[in-house]
Amino acid sequence: MEFRIAADELKKALYRAQGIVERKTTMPILANVLVTAHKAGVTVTAFDLEIGIVSEHPAEVVKPGAVTLSAKYVFDIVQNLPDAHVTLKKLANNYVEISSGSAHFKIVGTAPEEYPKLPREESAPLVQVTGNTLLEMIKKTQFAISTDETRYILNGVYFEPQQGGKVRMVATDGHRLSLIERELQGDFKLKGGVIIPRKGLLELKRLLDEAPDAECQLGFAENSALFKKTGLTMVMRLIDGQFPEYQRVIPKEGEKAVLVPKTRLLEGLKRIALLSADKSYAVRIGLAENQLLITANNPDLGEAKDALEIAYRGNAITIGFNARYLIDVLTVTDTDEVAFELGDEHSPGVLHAPGDRSFTAVVMPMRV
Amino acid sequence: MRAIIHVDMDAFYASVEQRDNPELRGKPLIVGGDARRGVVVAASYEVRKYGVRSAMPMARAMKMAPHAIVVKPRFNAYSEASEQVFSIFERYTPLIEPLSLDEAFLDVTASVGLFGAPADMARRIRKEISAETGLPSSAGIAAVKFVAKIASDVAKPNGQREVRAEETVAFLAGLPVGRLWGVGPKTEEALKRSGLETIGDVAKRDVAWMEARWGASGRQLWELAQGIDPREVVPDREARSVGAEDTFDEDLTGMEALSPHVHSQALRVARRLRRAGVKGRVVQLKLKYSDFTLLTRRTTLPSPTDDGQTLYRVAKELLEKAHDDKSVRLTGVSVQELGMDGGGTRQLGLFSAPEKPRKSDKLNAALDRIAERFGTKAVTTADIAGNEEVEPDPTRPQKPKRPH
Repeated sequence: MEFRIAADELKKALYRAQGIVERKTTMPILANVLVTAHKAGVTVTAFDLEIGIVSEHPAEVVKPGAVTLSAKYVFDIVQNLPDAHVTLKKLANNYVEISSGSAHFKIVGTAPEEYPKLPREESAPLVQVTGNTLLEMIKKTQFAISTDETRYILNGVYFEPQQGGKVRMVATDGHRLSLIERELQGDFKLKGGVIIPRKGLLELKRLLDEAPDAECQLGFAENSALFKKTGLTMVMRLIDGQFPEYQRVIPKEGEKAVLVPKTRLLEGLKRIALLSADKSYAVRIGLAENQLLITANNPDLGEAKDALEIAYRGNAITIGFNARYLIDVLTVTDTDEVAFELGDEHSPGVLHAPGDRSFTAVVMPMRV
Repeated sequence: MRAIIHVDMDAFYASVEQRDNPELRGKPLIVGGDARRGVVVAASYEVRKYGVRSAMPMARAMKMAPHAIVVKPRFNAYSEASEQVFSIFERYTPLIEPLSLDEAFLDVTASVGLFGAPADMARRIRKEISAETGLPSSAGIAAVKFVAKIASDVAKPNGQREVRAEETVAFLAGLPVGRLWGVGPKTEEALKRSGLETIGDVAKRDVAWMEARWGASGRQLWELAQGIDPREVVPDREARSVGAEDTFDEDLTGMEALSPHVHSQALRVARRLRRAGVKGRVVQLKLKYSDFTLLTRRTTLPSPTDDGQTLYRVAKELLEKAHDDKSVRLTGVSVQELGMDGGGTRQLGLFSAPEKPRKSDKLNAALDRIAERFGTKAVTTADIAGNEEVEPDPTRPQKPKRPH
């Protein structure tokens, strides 16, 4: 194997691999990438047995071949090269010489045969999707994914095609839930929903962030997902299991609905949460005549209060919430105003854009 | 700027013994276990000059000071004295961070207006300790925690030392690097190899140099050497654990003999948890064998609890697994990862059914009311009845033990 490649191309390939390669694993080879040179160019493969990406790059290939190399060290090296081009040449015993300008590295590699094979998902019906839309859907749900590994089913986003070319994505950690519905034209040929794991989703987000306007394709087959864009293929295993019946916990309409200026609410929550007890982010949201009150008290520090002017008539109520959950929602809300629906101290609060429930967040109260 | 006092009792256990038994006063005294197999629990100042230190095997200590008088530890007496000492601290500030039974940090910043300069406060605290408990103590006064701790050490025995903010760097400069917080023998050796023998050597270096060599901890060491220590005094209320343990009059062997004690300890811990309004998730069982070897086993519950029977069930399982027919001198049950309950916060779930008060909560509330009026022996479980340890009425949750 011998090829000459632009340093930036190799850097891009290895950057893509960084989030996937596993450093803490019983299989040391999973910390490596598989570098393959063929006539058309070079591919760099990263795989953690759940998620795999194959990144394709133009290169002047002198001699085809393959080797696996440490993803981290080679990435570090490529970031510090003196020249805009770099040559990789496999020597005896899987050593690889990396040369760029005046610099030469001789790196230990392993035989390509030891690298685990990625599943081939050629059968997946691929659907053309708008990167921007998929990116928006990920950003507006990922924060609600559970990180509790014992709640395995909730460690991902539920991807559920709807009637008329729409797709719904739902995430919940059991305390709050976020749902978004957008047009993703095309038939995924799915019987129901599938659960995309958190890590895969975050990698997908990273890939989409590279060029949100680029055309891309998404498809599902068996128990895996396939994502493709020019020069890149990603496969990942889906979470196997039944997502909870999320519709059941989304209230149809809250008893008390108010319109709140988003930025003021967001800033108010951040301020007041500074005085929440035990770093719990516990705050109280109160509705009084034409006022929304945010209060917190911490037995060790003191108390804090902020008031926002809103249009409200009705009984005064106070409900405890985890400010973090509300902040997460407001941070990704695009509208200047947000509709906030409240019930009582045992019922969920609901946030959505005024008159538009296509992005809806449900947050359970906190007993404060 | 903060005003922090570190109070440390002098040879605490040994001093309690000397106070309670006049014949021991002024004599080389070791509080410890069996002369062949035990370890030194405490050593009086009279015996320290022979090199005897706590945690040293008894056999070695006896070789160094064959004339020393050895007494068995009486932990109940030490707990009692500790309670008294801490109640004196509470007269001066609520911000008390216990490090062990005989040592605490006091943040007296806000008390200066009431009681005068921190050094005067320290003098009064030590005088009151001496008058009310008959025990000697030492104190260090400084603007940051770790300097206060070093200062009290320097002042020992029966003294106090104030290190003013402007004196801090000079005070630290001459001390060996091993005195810096977080520097153990290995780090100390590594620092010395780099030519850093004293804290002053560290302070003189460039922070970038320290960081390049030791990373983030290099910066931290450099900051400590400048007397910068942002750690606050964390009051007892946020104690990381609540526990109960007993040293038996005679060593015990076997589940049948041990489990009633563990049961009693579990119930006591639960009562203390409920009194403090907290629940815990991690249950730990501690066993000390006759040879003073210590064994701890822990388990994490699915949800926090303050129920004694739940604690006992878990502790008993741990005991069954750990138990190996060796004779045991002490058992203890403790609960960690405490969180507020009731008055505190609890996140409600989307998919869970609305919460109802559990039957055990009601029962415990009733038992607590009975115990309040008639004492903890009034209603108890059959295995414990008649031989339950008398529970002192702690006005404060038990102080966390110094990590070993």
